[in-house]
Amino acid sequence: MTTTAEAPIADAPSGGDVPLIELKAVGKSYGNIIALKDINLRVGAGQVTGVLGDNGAGKSTLIKIIAGLHQPTEGELLVDGKPMTFHSPKDALANGIATVYQDLAVVALMPVWRNFFLGQELRKKGILRSLDTNAMRATTISELHKMGIDLPDVDAPIGSLSGGQRQCVAIARAVFFGARVLILDEPTAALGVKQSGVVLRYITAAKEQGFGVIFITHNPHHAHMVGDHFVLLNRGRQKLDCTYDEIDLEHLTQEMAGGNELEALSHELGRKL
Amino acid sequence: MTTQADLDLGTHKVITDERVKEQNRLQRLLIRPEMGALVGAIGIFIFFAIVAPPFRSPEALATVLYASSTIGIMAVAVGLLMIGGEFDLSAGVAVTTSALAASMLSYNLHLNMWVGAALALCVSLAVGFLNGFLVMKTKIPSFLITLSSFLMLTGINLAVTKLVTGQVASSNISDIQGFGSANYFFAHTFNIFGIGVRITVFWWILFTLVATYVLFKTRIGNWIFAVGGNLESARAVGVPVNKVKIGLFMFVGFAAWFVGMHVLFSFNTVQSGQGVGNEFLYIIAAVIGGCLLTGGYGTAIGTLIGAFIFGMTNQGIVYAGWNPDWFKFFLGAMLLFAVIANNAFRNYASKK
Amino acid sequence: MKFRSVPQEGGADAPSVRRNRLPLAIGALLTAAALAACSSTGGKPADTGGAGGGGGGVNTPRVTIAMVTHEAPGDTFWDLIRKGAEAAAQKDNIDLKYSANKEGPEQGNLLQNAVDSKVAGIVTTLATPDALKPAVANAVSAGIPVIAFNSGINQWKDMGVLEYFGQDETLAGETAGKRLAAEGAKNVICVIQEQGSVALEARCAGVKAGMAGGTVTNLNVTGTDLPSVESTIGAKLQQDPSIDYIVTLGAPIALTAVKAVGNTGSKAKVGTFDTNAALVAAVKDGSVQWAIDQQPYLQGYLAVDSMWLYLNNKNVIGGGQAVLTGPSFIDKTNIDSVAKLAEAGTR
Repeated sequence: MTTTAEAPIADAPSGGDVPLIELKAVGKSYGNIIALKDINLRVGAGQVTGVLGDNGAGKSTLIKIIAGLHQPTEGELLVDGKPMTFHSPKDALANGIATVYQDLAVVALMPVWRNFFLGQELRKKGILRSLDTNAMRATTISELHKMGIDLPDVDAPIGSLSGGQRQCVAIARAVFFGARVLILDEPTAALGVKQSGVVLRYITAAKEQGFGVIFITHNPHHAHMVGDHFVLLNRGRQKLDCTYDEIDLEHLTQEMAGGNELEALSHELGRKL
Repeated sequence: MTTQADLDLGTHKVITDERVKEQNRLQRLLIRPEMGALVGAIGIFIFFAIVAPPFRSPEALATVLYASSTIGIMAVAVGLLMIGGEFDLSAGVAVTTSALAASMLSYNLHLNMWVGAALALCVSLAVGFLNGFLVMKTKIPSFLITLSSFLMLTGINLAVTKLVTGQVASSNISDIQGFGSANYFFAHTFNIFGIGVRITVFWWILFTLVATYVLFKTRIGNWIFAVGGNLESARAVGVPVNKVKIGLFMFVGFAAWFVGMHVLFSFNTVQSGQGVGNEFLYIIAAVIGGCLLTGGYGTAIGTLIGAFIFGMTNQGIVYAGWNPDWFKFFLGAMLLFAVIANNAFRNYASKK
Repeated sequence: MKFRSVPQEGGADAPSVRRNRLPLAIGALLTAAALAACSSTGGKPADTGGAGGGGGGVNTPRVTIAMVTHEAPGDTFWDLIRKGAEAAAQKDNIDLKYSANKEGPEQGNLLQNAVDSKVAGIVTTLATPDALKPAVANAVSAGIPVIAFNSGINQWKDMGVLEYFGQDETLAGETAGKRLAAEGAKNVICVIQEQGSVALEARCAGVKAGMAGGTVTNLNVTGTDLPSVESTIGAKLQQDPSIDYIVTLGAPIALTAVKAVGNTGSKAKVGTFDTNAALVAAVKDGSVQWAIDQQPYLQGYLAVDSMWLYLNNKNVIGGGQAVLTGPSFIDKTNIDSVAKLAEAGTR
């Protein structure tokens, strides 16, 4: 597997970089309600695309489309340059797209190793096909180790771990099961500074290993720390689509906070921005 | 489903494995849900052994085990369903439905009893499937769906029996072919050192062991825990939640069939009003045994202990010769004691 | 990183040879199964004989009569009452509306329904007289004749009810107690299958009174769970090996008690209230000593037929007194004469 961003990962007839995932003019409507319209997004191997936006901007809907929970009503979704339709999360998973949801899709009462292998349990050969619990425990410990987490007890219920640890287990799970693209849905939203640092370091490590990462957040500081591309959503429309070099943190924050509207408001209220 | 992780196994057998397991083994054993139930069971056993001399005899143990087994077999299935996050309030009368179906089909169509039993199995599995399907399709809580099926089955039991036989009890089937062998399979009494032990006791233990294996050593078991612990998470990672839940309801149907066959071959004629009220006993046995009412946690061995506690309490009160008017009160009080002991022990063990 | 491989659904194509043979094999299997499936013994008798048919010999106008009882659903005893009532209804050109609820207040509601429906007459049981008083009073003041049967032997007159058919549970109990004493029973258990049932408690109280000497202990069991009944009676027999008689208050419970006696090797005898078809064999072979018969078929029949007589001819049976339909004993001495009838489901 490639470890740098530059090396192409797919044999595209055109040569050069084919993005792992691309959204072209994607839209989603529920009856009269337009949740998303005309969204363009690109994720390449070894790159982090930050998807920013306030609450209600449409980030969740966008993520669910890429993850296979919804189908877009307009536009197309391309994987490795080929148009695709995902009918269920399984289709997305089969194409190497792993989503780590805000609620982490873990079962709080179950041990860490059972959660890690949920849906993809290892079984021994033989008639009974019983679970290979030894291998699952050992593999869980080692995979977490690889990403810098030292969990002494993988039999503890995952609900007893801290928020940051749980995030990392969920991400490690996605990584292990052959994801090429990681979609992280507001991973730092509920975390403190130190734990957010753990997650951000993890994202950087994943990026360096050649994964494509879609990083959804409403925190421009976090996005700016790890992102290569930025996409800003506002009420279902795309307000921003630029690379790291094209924007600085201050402008990014300003765009997020309301951009032109905020400037107009400050004039109205007679206060400096 | 294959995973490429098979290849990584060679490098992933870490030595730290054993060391990690040992550290918390004892503590984990102590806070297992069954331990608390076991403590309660031992407590009640000692209590009745002191208070009721007849309780100490091996014949009494055989009686208690039989009483526990007819509740216990259903409790395994209902407990598994509870771990999977659902209730089945129709389980009590489903037993009677199955027995009536086998009896009336064989009697009126002149079928071999085993064929009648097989048809009754189809009926029971269909009822289970229907319960599960309705729950998953309508997303209405299983408590309500199975409450409706409970009422419908109760009515069907009475009305169909009256329609077919003209009475409220099914007809005599003891002279139908296949009765003898079926009687042996479902209702035999073994003579062990002079004490009569019913075959249901052995079936009960067998079902519990099989359920334990499925829960902890198979993929489906992992899915059952997941589906009960957090349905949406399980769905998101690709667990086939509908199949798992419907399968659990159908397993309750299977257990209802088994106990129904025991009742049929043991008592020959089936009273159509039987079974009402038992559904709560199954749930009680599962809860005493450590199954969380909200799902996602529990064991089959726990339901075995819970059913045993119920059997001991039920019969122990009789052995103790207490005033029969207070029977239900004593039963409730002892069960309360068992549940509190279970809870207290679990809290104590998890704080250590 | 490698991908997770897309799962391949297993199963190569079945060779065409196998495909051709498969339906044949299935067909053969089904035929064999069908042949083995049938039972040559037992089952429903081929000739059911003349049940019903003909009858209805009156030419009086059709009226509606409501019958309200305190039946617990599934109790075989009430089958017999209904059979008798329906036989009389068919003969008398009566539209019989049956309803029941074992809870007193609920039975009162059903009675009130009948009053509101302005039926021609009401026949009812009075197991919980106080709960039924208001509805019966309404019926009487509305001019609807009320006849009572089966229970309420001490209360019916004061409630304005015209006639009473049945035995009294207390009376039946005392008769049973006297017989037990005559047979030399010293330690009796009285098995109550439905805790709190007025009728059942009255029976056991009567047994106690009728026994005079000796001990009578009540035993509560869960009548809706026969395996549990078997275990509980067995446990009681083990607890007190000196028990020499078990009195049950329903035929299915009696048969279960016989099983419990067999399980524990006890020497206790079994006597019961009420009969059913399956009990006949038990009385014949001696595993049940006697059954007290209050002739439920007769009660149902008389209740409906007497209402017809009253409505059409203002006849009143009993001269202001209760008309007793029992108790009588069915035991080895007279089982043969009633055996066939019991098996047919009318005794």
